[in-house]
Amino acid sequence: MQISINDADVFVSTGGRVADEHAPVLLFLHGSGQTHLSWLLQARFFANRGWSVMAPDFPGHGLSGGAPLTAIETMADWCHTLIMAAGHKKVTVIGHSQGGLVAMELARRHPEYVAGIGLISLALAIPVNPQLISMAEDNEPAAFDAMVTWGHGHDGAFHDHPMPGNSHIFMGKRIMASNPEGTLAVDLKACAAYADGEQAAASITQPAMVILAGDDSMTPCKQGEALAAAIPHAELVKIEHAGHMLPIERGDDVNRALRRLFEQTGA
Amino acid sequence: MSKSFGFDTLGLHAGYTPDDRHGSRAVPIHQTTSYMFNDTEHAAALYNLEVGGHLYTRISNPTIGVLENRMAALEEGVAAVAVATGMSAVFLSILALTSQGDHIVASSQMYGGNINLLEHTMSRFGVTTSFVDPTDHDAIAAAIKPNTKMVFGEVIGNPGLDVMDVSAVAKVAHAAGVPLVIDATLNTPYLMKPLKHGANIVIHSLTKWIGGHGIAMGGVIVDGGNFDWGQNDRFPTLTQPHFAFQGVNLWEEFGPAAFAMRVRSEGMYNIGPTLSPTNAFHILQGIETLGMRMDRHMANTAELVAFLKNHDGVAWVNHPSLPDHSCHDVAMRQMPKGAGSIVTMGIKGGRMASQAFIESVELASHLANVGDARTLVIHPGSTTHSHISADAMKAAGLTDDLIRISVGLEDINDIKADFNRAIKIAQKKTSAKGS
Ligand SMILES: Cc1ncc(COP(=O)(O)O)c(C=O)c1O
Repeated sequence: MQISINDADVFVSTGGRVADEHAPVLLFLHGSGQTHLSWLLQARFFANRGWSVMAPDFPGHGLSGGAPLTAIETMADWCHTLIMAAGHKKVTVIGHSQGGLVAMELARRHPEYVAGIGLISLALAIPVNPQLISMAEDNEPAAFDAMVTWGHGHDGAFHDHPMPGNSHIFMGKRIMASNPEGTLAVDLKACAAYADGEQAAASITQPAMVILAGDDSMTPCKQGEALAAAIPHAELVKIEHAGHMLPIERGDDVNRALRRLFEQTGA
Repeated sequence: MSKSFGFDTLGLHAGYTPDDRHGSRAVPIHQTTSYMFNDTEHAAALYNLEVGGHLYTRISNPTIGVLENRMAALEEGVAAVAVATGMSAVFLSILALTSQGDHIVASSQMYGGNINLLEHTMSRFGVTTSFVDPTDHDAIAAAIKPNTKMVFGEVIGNPGLDVMDVSAVAKVAHAAGVPLVIDATLNTPYLMKPLKHGANIVIHSLTKWIGGHGIAMGGVIVDGGNFDWGQNDRFPTLTQPHFAFQGVNLWEEFGPAAFAMRVRSEGMYNIGPTLSPTNAFHILQGIETLGMRMDRHMANTAELVAFLKNHDGVAWVNHPSLPDHSCHDVAMRQMPKGAGSIVTMGIKGGRMASQAFIESVELASHLANVGDARTLVIHPGSTTHSHISADAMKAAGLTDDLIRISVGLEDINDIKADFNRAIKIAQKKTSAKGS
């Protein structure tokens, strides 16, 4: 689906389905330097099971136009605009990594629009290593390599993808390389600058779930547990032997957990 | 575990994790046609490309899947589809991009089967091909038309042994908004990974060096994921709703893997040149030693080329490693580990002497294959390329005395002794005697 937000063309994957207008809405938010394709194993899955899926490419990412947004708060407001533009009143928001910060901030700023929240591979903050930021600025392909390599656990490292014939590592690099040059650095700086995780987490009153990967070396599990503890009623789900790119590395496990959340949110 | 592994490690491990139930260390042969569904929802999800897994071996299979993942890893591609033969890999690639009225620009110096498929089979279905010299980049640019869907060629032409400058040809193709598809059978990912040089799709006959044992047919298509199919409206098979899967738009829903998804979701569903799981297993055994074997192929090739170059009875020798080869510089730049183990030569005395040589070798095998562990010889003019026209023969760099050698892994002194003997017999038998 193509939609215009703030004068820029925005692409929103609907998981290949045109949803029933009364279907509960799921808003999937991708992470730094990613696109809607992070949700390869979620978008089609939930769209074909009665949910109305919206997995946008943030401005300056994937198939969306515009310039990348520079702050998590701006991204959260942008999501709010997107929800209204699509004619929805309430969504369950699911964010991966940076997308999780945006989801929390969306819930804090516009709680009446959020029915529930799923946070994947996330901590209260993402204090990006300054070296990675300079790498993203000076030698983007090296930063893609580093992130994709750190971002996967055993299955990714061994190219053992749930979809026959696919390689997480090279798909991951290609997805990152498909974004306009400079996008990753803007995202990483936005993550590094975001300091309101504690307050945002504490403000969440909706049903919430935190899904963590046992071998996440980007947002380590321990810090993810602190996030879950900071949210008043969050269910914590830990998936062992997986890395940061959990939604693609362990699609079935993630979908099973999310489905439980969606049943609670009535979504 | 956040590591990226080297070539030989990936060759041994990529695509497979021993399963919890049995812990089988080697990749098991899943010799089955079909798979149990957990429930109707699971079945529907598999049929609709929503989840990973297998539903019917024509479409995918766990053993074949390991081979596919391993080839994607070795070529640095986003996805791979393995098929029954190299020819079916070429055909399914063409099928994924072209429709009636479309056009292909292809190298004139390719394996005879590739030329025949384009010239005689695809043309009957309204897909036409312009054949051009792969080293003439202006000619390639000039041949691309608004309905051109791909530029297609081989890195090392078989058997002309011209070497395509892949990054230069990729630039020409990309400037026209067209992908570069490479049949990389003769170089294998060990000698060169065309995707890293700008190619977009890589095809192999796995029957050759990748299997290496000469016991199993196979082919693979690797999608580089590095072509923007949405940049123009040339590629409706990828950017318009699919005829199945509820009209999925593959470019939107699968992004960099759109091409591989089209191959599987049309080529395997509607045509079905499926690799046998047992052959996938055999080919995997070959891949486990690909790096080491290629080193030995290259060492033997270097010695044999030097030996033939200095042999009195040999009229000419052709290999891209030779400084006087027209593509020597490109070959060395693209393939520093070696430019493949196909060597061509003519015996003094012309066609008769060359045929006599082939009939006189004892260790080398006279047969229609390349890339076997054993040394192979053939006279393409009367065999592999005999179905193509005289003009196409000339364009493919074929002279009537040309002998094609696929250098094997035997002890090099034994190969040299066999060739020496056969060259001498060939000369005795023909008018070249004493020349
Ligand atoms: C360069 C090249 N491409 C494709 C093929 C066809 O492969 P297969 O025989 O596995 O169908 C061959 C086989 O000789 C080949 O040499």
